[in-house]
Amino acid sequence: MALNQSLKGKEYEEVSFTVDRDRVTQFAEAIGEDDPIYRDAAAAKQAGFDEQVAPPTFATVLQIMTSGQAVVDPELGLDYSRVVHGEQQYEWRRPIVVDEVLKATPRIADIYAKKSNEFLVIEADIKDAKGETVVISRSTLISRGTGGQ
Amino acid sequence: MAPKVSFDQVTVGDEIPVHTKVVKRQDVKAYADASGDQNPLHQDDAFAQSVGFPGIIAHGMFTMAHLTSGLTAWLGDPSALKDLKVQFRAVVFMDETIEAGGRVAGLDPGSKRATLEVWVKVDRAGVSEYPIKNSQAIVQLA
Repeated sequence: MALNQSLKGKEYEEVSFTVDRDRVTQFAEAIGEDDPIYRDAAAAKQAGFDEQVAPPTFATVLQIMTSGQAVVDPELGLDYSRVVHGEQQYEWRRPIVVDEVLKATPRIADIYAKKSNEFLVIEADIKDAKGETVVISRSTLISRGTGGQ
Repeated sequence: MAPKVSFDQVTVGDEIPVHTKVVKRQDVKAYADASGDQNPLHQDDAFAQSVGFPGIIAHGMFTMAHLTSGLTAWLGDPSALKDLKVQFRAVVFMDETIEAGGRVAGLDPGSKRATLEVWVKVDRAGVSEYPIKNSQAIVQLA
């Protein structure tokens, strides 16, 4: 079944997320990041940051929370068992740090078909408490075999 | 913290140090828990086999995270990583060794930023496969 192209531009609910210290430490450990700025507030402060720093791809935690809304949207008609992650882009304005509150509003930036596959582009502008952009996430999911050709 | 790589030290064509990781099942499980991506394709061999793989595969984002670690280790500062856009082009199986690398493709003297062509390679039965290729990073140099 093809994706519902009329959802291009649809915005989902804003997601709010507090950057938890244990979650950042867990993420750094999971990816084997052993630079102390990702593990220890004192080391991060000594290096000039306000707090313990989240590794750059910690943004993935928010990306998964936000894109999840589109993935399960019944109006979109995405069969998750057909989905593979095709592309991912992050544009970082600054590193994420522990204890800050981030907000993101995911949006379907594009839906298009190419040969037998369809492509779903989900964007989220992740902002801090002051409303300033911290990182922009752009994910392209491939729905295999629903492109109709 | 300031970028440690000086713009003047870098030339187009330079390669950054290769960042190597042996992908273990427990690493992928830890990544699933830390990232929140609990897709069974990355945890359940029977499920992975039902969709045509010999066993579980690593998350694309797991591989991208290791590419990012290689970039920030070279840069010496996560603030210096401005943009990373990757294409996922091949899967990664358990116990494979992924090698993240990059090459300076362009330099902008005005902003002291460099564009890097980046990739992640895996050697599979003597053939190089690229789980990440046709991908670019933009980094701030000092």
